[in-house]
Amino acid sequence: MTAANLALDMRGITKIFPGVRALSDVNFSVRFGTVHAIVGENGAGKSTLMKVLSGSHAPTSGAIWVDGTEVKMRRPADAQALGIRMVHQELNLVPDLTVAENVYLGRMPGKWTLLHKRKMIERAAAVLDELGTGIDPNERLGNLSISQQQLVEIAKAYAAEPRIIVLDEPTSSLSDHETGALFRILRKMRDDGIAIIYISHRLKEVLQIADEVTVLRDGAMIASRPIAGITGPEMIRLMVGRSVDTVFPKHAAKIGPSMLRVDGISDGANFRNVSFDVHAGEILGLTGLVGAGRTEVARAIFGLSQIVEGRISIKGQALSITSPAAAVRAGIGYVPEDRKGDGIIPAMSIRENISLPILRHLSRFGRIRGGEDRKLAMHYVEKLSISPPDGERRINLLSGGNQQKTVIAKWLAAKPLVLILDEPTRGVDVGAKAEIHNIIGELVAGGMAVVIISSELPEVMGVCDRVVVMRDGQAIAPIPRAQLDEEYLMSLATGEAVA
Amino acid sequence: MNDVTEKLARFRQPERFTRASRGANIGSKTGLLFAILAVTLYGSFASPVFFSTGNFLNVLTSMSIVGIVVVGMTFVLVAGGLADLSVPATIACGAILSLGLQPEIGPIPAFAAAIALASCIGLLNGVLVGFAGVNPIIATLGVGTIALGVVQAAVGGVIVYGTNPASAEFVKGRLFDIPVIVLLFVVIAIVGHFVLSRTFWGRWTLATGGNYRAAQASAVPVRAVKAGAFVISGLVAGISGGLLGLTLQSARPLVGSGYEFNAITAVVVGGVSIMGGFGSIPRAIAGLVFVQLLTNVMVLQGVRTPVQGLALGLMIVCAVGLDSALRKRGGA
Repeated sequence: MTAANLALDMRGITKIFPGVRALSDVNFSVRFGTVHAIVGENGAGKSTLMKVLSGSHAPTSGAIWVDGTEVKMRRPADAQALGIRMVHQELNLVPDLTVAENVYLGRMPGKWTLLHKRKMIERAAAVLDELGTGIDPNERLGNLSISQQQLVEIAKAYAAEPRIIVLDEPTSSLSDHETGALFRILRKMRDDGIAIIYISHRLKEVLQIADEVTVLRDGAMIASRPIAGITGPEMIRLMVGRSVDTVFPKHAAKIGPSMLRVDGISDGANFRNVSFDVHAGEILGLTGLVGAGRTEVARAIFGLSQIVEGRISIKGQALSITSPAAAVRAGIGYVPEDRKGDGIIPAMSIRENISLPILRHLSRFGRIRGGEDRKLAMHYVEKLSISPPDGERRINLLSGGNQQKTVIAKWLAAKPLVLILDEPTRGVDVGAKAEIHNIIGELVAGGMAVVIISSELPEVMGVCDRVVVMRDGQAIAPIPRAQLDEEYLMSLATGEAVA
Repeated sequence: MNDVTEKLARFRQPERFTRASRGANIGSKTGLLFAILAVTLYGSFASPVFFSTGNFLNVLTSMSIVGIVVVGMTFVLVAGGLADLSVPATIACGAILSLGLQPEIGPIPAFAAAIALASCIGLLNGVLVGFAGVNPIIATLGVGTIALGVVQAAVGGVIVYGTNPASAEFVKGRLFDIPVIVLLFVVIAIVGHFVLSRTFWGRWTLATGGNYRAAQASAVPVRAVKAGAFVISGLVAGISGGLLGLTLQSARPLVGSGYEFNAITAVVVGGVSIMGGFGSIPRAIAGLVFVQLLTNVMVLQGVRTPVQGLALGLMIVCAVGLDSALRKRGGA
């Protein structure tokens, strides 16, 4: 390792996916023996940049230098050969193997003989010890807690004697105490001369551990500074840094009586004591970081999971919603976050997808009445201008935006009182996005109560009447539109105070 | 934003998908009919016996017993339930009960009791697969083995003989010159087709097999739908077993073995997806007709049994391979 060289120097990295410029001309460099944090909103380009670094994506243009040499990486193995290691948010470990076997997974020292196995255990023990984890290398991985598994994942990266380690949200499953232990390990690795790239939403931790910080926004590098020269509020300002543009027109609708009310609901795992209500004609935003429990709240209200505490009421009437069918009867519709997984039946036509939740009402004596579902589908295909305007087209042949419009149509057909939309505009192009916002505007104008879950603050600010911010499974009381402020919301979501 | 790339992406993608799916559609719809035609032509030239009313009636009759099972098996595959391996046991239960209970309660109640028990076996399968989430292969294999054991113990492990010649006469008889068994098969197939393609239950079955989670999120009672497919399979396997028993006028515990394989072969060759969500009764029956005619031609030509097995096995592998290949092209 040459102290004079930069551990990593990415110059002018641009990555274009069909129709999307994910990264534009990003410069990013890390010195040996430092912790360099990357911060940015969801979709700012952090993961894409790291995928370029790990060899998963080839950059459209730009050069990467590692330890003073220009490198070309075509596949993840190339990056590993260069001493670049990733510690992902989702653990890549095998629960049925021992800790030692996991640490040396894929690069067993020698063959699978008893002797080598002993050596492997010794080495793993040494690594785990060096990091001060206190984990027994012979333990079955599955018996460890999630936070211990996280440490094993880091030990696995460390045991490979890397030059650069990338940690993606390493503290998302750790308690404060465990985070402290992780930070000791990171400082130890830093003092060994390893370059550490630390991606996190938690700005407080970034301020604690990082030596330098780079802010990404909309695929561009906004700032790269020593941590001493920046404050939390400043970081937030740099991350957000744009005015709410007019892409999100606000439709004024008359606010009516309360339609959906949740009182202190908990599911015993992902969220607790969440309360809010939404009125007819109102758009309530539910925002927060990924993993804050927003989707879980929506799924519980819709009966896809069960609450263990609290009350859900529609029009003032408390209901026990134990299944989606019960939710539909109560007048709740849910456009799920994962369109491919939860939203569409790919082998079915637009018509069959739209009519699915209310099929029984279209049937007589079990038989679907002739042409009823066709009429219904055509009505909504026209109303939402789904393209192509052909109800018999298989849904997986449509573009993402049109699939999403079909899923929305499915719920409009069920005529709900309350519609919950989970990231309704994710992965759809700008035009379809505006159309979806217009549709939502018309719905509330017609007296529907709408809850929108979104990570995109400009969207939340643009369309919502009130906003509930969630952090770590808890909801912060609704903030009225007049008080909405992007930096304020971001600080609530991250738990970082803005002066 | 790169305008050209975006425009190209927008134009090309749907077109490519549409074209692939149209090709796949036509191919999968007409391919089998051509295959049936080809086998018929070949059979007619190769064997003087093949193209005769007698032979066709034979093929039809032997096809009907397994054909009734095919109707149920189609529901199981379409619902994403992989396969019902308890069919041999259910058939045996149907056959043994419909004969064994004749002296006690008479032929028609015995037949009804047989079907009721078979449906219960299906319900047990359904509860295990749909509600308890047990793997269908293991669940149906286990339930089948248990059911067969119980029935065997009940009748003392011997062959049961029929005691009511009138019922045998009826089942083996003809109506308008068509064997009664064939008529029953046609009726069951038509009802099955109606349920799968025209009722909300059928649409739910297709949705559950097509995307379980999305169906669930669309308020489809997915667990009940999956369980229902196994109940339907048990019910029709019971009918099939009862008819088989009455035809043979004897039933041993292993009377149903092989029927599950024949039914699955027919359904899969018919292009019903083993992964669920796609298929219809006519397709499955087209698969059945093809397999039966091919087997018939092979028998008439004196092809040895192991070779017959080889040919059928190859056909399953090819059909399943084609299914996943087409899925990849048609779906995204």
